[in-house]
Amino acid sequence: MTLAQRGRWITAVALLLLAGVYVRALVFTPEEAHQGLAQKIFYVHAPAAWSAMLSMGLVGLASILFLLIKDPRYDRFAAASAEVGTAFSLVMLTTGPIWGKTIWGTWWTWDARLTLTLFLFFLFLGYLLMRGAVTEPGLRARYSAVLGICGLVLLPFIHLSVYLFRTLHPAPIVLKPSAPSLPPEMLVTLLSSFAVFTLLYVGFVTMRYAIGDGGGIDA
Amino acid sequence: MPEAVPQNGAYMVAAYIDAAVILLVYALTLFRRSRRPS
Repeated sequence: MTLAQRGRWITAVALLLLAGVYVRALVFTPEEAHQGLAQKIFYVHAPAAWSAMLSMGLVGLASILFLLIKDPRYDRFAAASAEVGTAFSLVMLTTGPIWGKTIWGTWWTWDARLTLTLFLFFLFLGYLLMRGAVTEPGLRARYSAVLGICGLVLLPFIHLSVYLFRTLHPAPIVLKPSAPSLPPEMLVTLLSSFAVFTLLYVGFVTMRYAIGDGGGIDA
Repeated sequence: MPEAVPQNGAYMVAAYIDAAVILLVYALTLFRRSRRPS
């Protein structure tokens, strides 16, 4: 089985499991008493944010390894992860305002968490645009690696922004030092969604890595 | 008197459709590109 075929299988399984998460979240997970049904947006928004941050984290790590070892496979992986991260960022940045409109009364506010996640999206876009603009492969890989490391440095600020700044965005419910603050039914749905989004990331990146420079934005 | 639960199901539906469309469209582009002979 080729890498592309493996990626297609993983993605197909992940999409089926995502349909299962949708059914569990929409039908079998109880409605939150204060926020109503809109609270369920959380089950796609938070895992999408996790996958976007995972993508950028691995772009950064692969970039460091590329600069240290000079193995072009790390550059190729970083490029694949950046493209996939752009898709997950888009899910995060579009589902968040839909929740915000009904709960906060506004689509967008320039608070620290939201602004930093928008910056993360622009970093992904900038990364892909730069790969398209620089034609010399060695130079492209080095410039991309520097941008990837900048993205990695941004991640702790995004995660901690709800503690460091006064912000409207809720604090983490699962990824925090103390125990998760969710009823068990909601927690199982959320953790299932995190697992499925992670598998989807693996499937997407495997396919995108197999495509390489031949079929991507940086072709 | 208990607080009324907000009627905002349409926002939930919109967000789920939005996420599904983005992920499915991206998956389809990857499926197509990965089948293309290099």
